[in-house]
Amino acid sequence: MLLAVLFSNSEGNILVERFHGVPAEERLHWRSFLVKLGADNLKGVKNEELLVASHKSVYIVYTVLGDVCIYVVGKDDYDELALAEVIFAITSAVKDVCGKPPTERLFLDKYGKICLCLDEIVWKGELENTDKDRIRRLIRLKPPTDV
Amino acid sequence: MAQPLVKKDDDRDDEAEYSPFLGIEKGAVLQEARVFNDPQLDPRRCSQVITKLLYLLNQGETFTKIEATEVFFAVTKLFQSRDIGLRRMVYLMIKELSPSADEVIIVTSSLMKDMNSKTDMYRANAIRVLCRITDGTLLTQIERYLKQAIVDKNPVVASAALVSGIHLLQTNPEIVKRWSNEVQEAVQSRAALVQFHALALLHQIRQNDRLAVSKLVTSLTRGTVRSPLAQCLLIRYASQVIHESGNTQTGERPFYDYLESCLRHKAEMVIFEAARAITELSGVTSRELTPAITVLQLFLSSSKPVLRFAAVRTLNKVAMTHPMAVTNCNIDMESLISDQNRSIATLAITTLLKTGNESSVDRLMKQITNFMSDIADEFKIVVVEAIRSLCLKFPLKYRSLMNFLSNILREEGGFEYKKAIVDSIVLLIRDIPDAKESGLFHLCEFIEDCEFTYLSTQILHFLGNEGPKTSDPSKYIRYIYNRVILENATVRASAVSTLAKFGAMVDSLKPRIFVLLRRCLFDSDDEVRDRATLYLNMLAGDGIVGETGKDVKEFLFGSLNVPLGNLETSLKNYEPSEEPFDINSVPKDVKAQPLAEKKAPGKKPTGLGAAPTGPTSTVDAYEKLLSSIPEFAGFGKLFKSSAPVELTEAETEYAVNVVKHIYDGHVVFQYNCTNTVPEQLLENVSVVVDASEAEEFSEVVSKHLRSLPYDSPGHTFVAFEKPEGVAFGKFSNVLRFIVKEVDTSTGEAEEEGVEDEYQLEDLDVVAADYMLKVGVSNFKNAWDSMGDDCERVDEYGLGVRESLAEAVNAVINILGMQPCEGTEVVPSNSRSHTCLLSGVFIGNVKVLVRLSFGIDGPKQVAMKLAVRSEDPAVSDTIHEIVASG
Repeated sequence: MLLAVLFSNSEGNILVERFHGVPAEERLHWRSFLVKLGADNLKGVKNEELLVASHKSVYIVYTVLGDVCIYVVGKDDYDELALAEVIFAITSAVKDVCGKPPTERLFLDKYGKICLCLDEIVWKGELENTDKDRIRRLIRLKPPTDV
Repeated sequence: MAQPLVKKDDDRDDEAEYSPFLGIEKGAVLQEARVFNDPQLDPRRCSQVITKLLYLLNQGETFTKIEATEVFFAVTKLFQSRDIGLRRMVYLMIKELSPSADEVIIVTSSLMKDMNSKTDMYRANAIRVLCRITDGTLLTQIERYLKQAIVDKNPVVASAALVSGIHLLQTNPEIVKRWSNEVQEAVQSRAALVQFHALALLHQIRQNDRLAVSKLVTSLTRGTVRSPLAQCLLIRYASQVIHESGNTQTGERPFYDYLESCLRHKAEMVIFEAARAITELSGVTSRELTPAITVLQLFLSSSKPVLRFAAVRTLNKVAMTHPMAVTNCNIDMESLISDQNRSIATLAITTLLKTGNESSVDRLMKQITNFMSDIADEFKIVVVEAIRSLCLKFPLKYRSLMNFLSNILREEGGFEYKKAIVDSIVLLIRDIPDAKESGLFHLCEFIEDCEFTYLSTQILHFLGNEGPKTSDPSKYIRYIYNRVILENATVRASAVSTLAKFGAMVDSLKPRIFVLLRRCLFDSDDEVRDRATLYLNMLAGDGIVGETGKDVKEFLFGSLNVPLGNLETSLKNYEPSEEPFDINSVPKDVKAQPLAEKKAPGKKPTGLGAAPTGPTSTVDAYEKLLSSIPEFAGFGKLFKSSAPVELTEAETEYAVNVVKHIYDGHVVFQYNCTNTVPEQLLENVSVVVDASEAEEFSEVVSKHLRSLPYDSPGHTFVAFEKPEGVAFGKFSNVLRFIVKEVDTSTGEAEEEGVEDEYQLEDLDVVAADYMLKVGVSNFKNAWDSMGDDCERVDEYGLGVRESLAEAVNAVINILGMQPCEGTEVVPSNSRSHTCLLSGVFIGNVKVLVRLSFGIDGPKQVAMKLAVRSEDPAVSDTIHEIVASG
């Protein structure tokens, strides 16, 4: 299960958070845990360099893209390798939508599109699409070219 | 003055430009959402409003029921627009709002229309939305379309239906299971993702049908699997099939070739999945492991942290069971200690600590010291635990390891971390006699500046028990009395108790302890004064508590002889009255042991480290339990309790394991039974043991268990008389009971029950049951001081063996002795090896064994066995055991 996808800005403010199968009362805990993890480790990290952590049986892969920090959390089947795949799909889709690693402003300008991308990538906690070209077409309701 | 003002405005402007959502407010956005109702829809504006709504939802904002309903109805109006971008947003918005059952009806017709639309993408999205918001009744209406969609030419439509199926399987399994023909067809799809989703769904539909899963795996491993993701799934299913087929040890393992071929796949994730699957095979041989370890080793030096982490995590797991297999990677692993990612570095270190040999300990410790300062507490705890096991493995290295522990004890750290260090030092003191004095000294230093009351009192208690037995007890007094002067009341009280223990045990110190205790009589705290008064009277022999020195010691060091949990309950139930509380009224029966013990074999103790903590405490618990049963009281002192042996397979109705308790002239089997069926209550549970293949044993007592409710373990016992010393045999077991149906809603059982039986696995009493694993810190000294009076030496041919390591392990297991100085580890490729073992044989006879192995070209293994013990008969017995094993 892919438990959470979270975007924050460099100060740790949440831009997008999506949880799957995480009880509401635990979400706040996860949010602050992830933001702290990022604050401790993401400084000076290159764009899209993946960092990884595990907390009990849960895995976390996170990275930075422009001004935005991205975290994905998973367990069971979604171990660090699967999460790397998920976060790769997310970063490439975001870059595709924004045209480059986004500033916070650019990210918020493209907010709607990014939500649609996430909707294509993650379906209630399961990975669905990974290819950015396919996602780009799907969010515009165009059939993919690799049919 | 003006300048800062301007600047402030600038700031605000910047910010305003920064976020398009600045000052966004729910009420205002809900107002804006009214544009959805305009007769002339403006798709662009509508999209913007939806984006704002999404932003609010993603920030954790919630809508009230009324707000959500209003927005939902407004959004449904947008189906009129033909704008594609807006339609996509509408689909997402409906999913986010997840309307209630009575509202869904509003959109179903629109969605059903889209589901049959000529536009593929409308179909795909409509399916996803419908499946998200639908319930069982609606599902039957659209089932036909979904089945069609699964085999749709357009992969997006097919995937949408398949993924929906995966989710719907949770809520409506009976409907989804009807789709298996279509899903089967989709598995053969040429589109990679469709194949992946179809495979996942098909496996979920058939997961309870082993044969079907096995067939599926067989056909797909031969065919082509396009997507790496699907390949990963297939590897998982294959290893599941391997696991379930049971390892017969003969011939080739099914699908191993397939797993091995996946190691050469071009996708990294497939390589990893295969490598992990291989390392997790049960009873994996070193030949099977090698290719997997080789690819993992390559990943250790990958530039991507995720791959390094995955590799080191897998190797760390392998190191727990096959440390030798990982040693080749040690050099790569050492370079990871300085890895920027602390998770990777910690895993690397703990792996190295497991695989390292005695000579590398010092170098390793040096590297770790640099590393410890910049990791978080939770990582430090892992390292401390690994060091503890390392020290037990190489007792000769205790000096550098103990130094390391005392150094980190002085540094900053939280409670859990400090507790882990203190626990480790205590354990080392207990297991390595040579380490005692320095260890106690480190603990004394620590309490001089310890901010944790709990740890101070624990250490003081421990110091009171161990300190008086050292060569110079007086040197600890200063540290203890300092506590009385400097600390809070709780610590002061325990320091007083500790002082009293020194006074009772060391006569030469008694007068001086008196002086100190008298000073405590003026303490500001009641408890401290009370204790001081009590101990002063006791030690002076004033006759209040006990007359003799023995009584005093019994009072100070003895336990209450009742389980603390029971004592607590009794005290809570006690109502203050004329009649004083009577400790004899506290029940001595220990409550049923928790399930954890039963689950233990699943996660075997990691390496040597975890084992020593367990046995000491469980043996105590067993001893208490057995001594509380009158029938066993006459058996004398318990010599050894074995680890639990499972008599049932995992996940059967009744889980039973057995612990063999060995006495001089008796053996008691303790059957730990768990009933895993909620609808059943078992009564009058007993195990019927057939000892016809154990001629020297005769049954004397069998203790039934009155009732065994669901999920609360209980034990039954069967005791046998046997000749003094060793006796072997095979016992077959049948669980017999009366089963009663339980109504799970009320929890009440039926009056009438039915007698029933359940066949359990056989049980053996073997040589290792008569041997206690007791290590010695310096084997050579122990060997020399034992002398060669009772030495017996002989040579044995062990025949063809897979490897030297396998032969060494086999002999260790037969004897059940404690390997010393890490000699159970055989360096790879070595042609000869010496293994040192020590133990205590039944009758409390110390035994030392020196095994010398040699292996030749055709893998013939020869062994020389030298035994020294305190009794020549025992030395002979050891040879007999090896000769017959």
